[in-house]
Amino acid sequence: MKLFSAQNISYSINEKKLFHNLSFEANSEDGLYIKGANGSGKSTLLRIILGITSPSKGSIRYSTEDLDISYLGHKNAIKNYLTPIQNLELLFNNSKLTNAFKWLHKLELTNVQDELAANLSFGQQKKLALIRVLAESPQMIVLDEPFVGLDKVTGDLLNNFLVEKLSEGVGLILTSHIQPTIECKVLDLGKENV
Amino acid sequence: MFRLIKIESFKLSNKLKSWLGPLLITVLVLIAFPLSIDISQYDLNRFYFSIIVVSLLMTAFVATEGMFEEDFEDGSLEQEFLIEKDFYKVTLSKILVYVCFIGIPIAFIGSLFSFANGVAIGSFPKVFLLLSLSNLLLFNLFAFGNALSINKGAMLGVLSSLPFALPVIILLGRAIRTIQYGDGFLAIITLMIGIGLVVSAIMPLIISAALKTHID
Repeated sequence: MKLFSAQNISYSINEKKLFHNLSFEANSEDGLYIKGANGSGKSTLLRIILGITSPSKGSIRYSTEDLDISYLGHKNAIKNYLTPIQNLELLFNNSKLTNAFKWLHKLELTNVQDELAANLSFGQQKKLALIRVLAESPQMIVLDEPFVGLDKVTGDLLNNFLVEKLSEGVGLILTSHIQPTIECKVLDLGKENV
Repeated sequence: MFRLIKIESFKLSNKLKSWLGPLLITVLVLIAFPLSIDISQYDLNRFYFSIIVVSLLMTAFVATEGMFEEDFEDGSLEQEFLIEKDFYKVTLSKILVYVCFIGIPIAFIGSLFSFANGVAIGSFPKVFLLLSLSNLLLFNLFAFGNALSINKGAMLGVLSSLPFALPVIILLGRAIRTIQYGDGFLAIITLMIGIGLVVSAIMPLIISAALKTHID
């Protein structure tokens, strides 16, 4: 099933073109891996897909208005003055909280569950932020550099989770400097073709 | 909307500095300001209202300083945008929660201070209502200032919105005079409720547009 199509997307900052006339589609069961050098516009393209940033030209057409998307960008969106448990209580309602706590256990964060998030290491904060995606059941997952800061065990866990979600028909779009071992279409912003 | 109010209440109740700070500042200004300019008890009965206005302005100013900044910095604002598609409800619930957690307690402290300075006990609810409504207006205005300069240090925007607070102060002055002279309170409080409702409905729209511009 087609999730969205991007048509002739261009984006410029101060007359510097980040990318020009990009057209591509995302389907459920298909992953889209956006690669490119630093500053090539990977994160900006993700934000355009999500509707957070408006493109200079072109448009994104979603197949449905209420596409349920889980997103994790560069910013972890966790509250430093709350504990991991409180952060999860803030994010999830009671029905999803049990699943979120399972992920807290799987990601070995239970030993720091009562510490303030500000006192966690970068990797632990990243793991906590990832639960936002892991404990949800969206139609599409969008991740910006999800493997940064993760140890190998957690990286593999995330990789397996994404493979499983793809097989369930969940759309996936990610950027990463670490080549994911997931079968994906590749959009190379250096070459601007899929 | 209920989800957002619950989230904002949970966040604010866990940020002791954000809600207790403005309350302590109110108490400090109400006590220290008359002492610092050496107002006698007789003069205090005449000037207590000016002191309340100063403390209302200062606390509303301080309370709204980090209203959107933290969510902008940590990426929560982007996440809310994905769920809500705009920031209207987020802003509305934030302002409501700030008014309930900070504005109303400040109004209560201000009313107590008025009572201690000779306002009749029968007028206590009138002063409380008046100060609560003034806080609602001030929090809306300063939230707008905060949203304007979210990525340049929110205090700058709050400062730039300070002139918008002048009509609120003038209105508050007129209203307090109606309490002192016992005439026309109903008319002015109705006007303030009307303005409060209009501002509370429109200001989140403007703030929402300002926030969208910043995350774009």
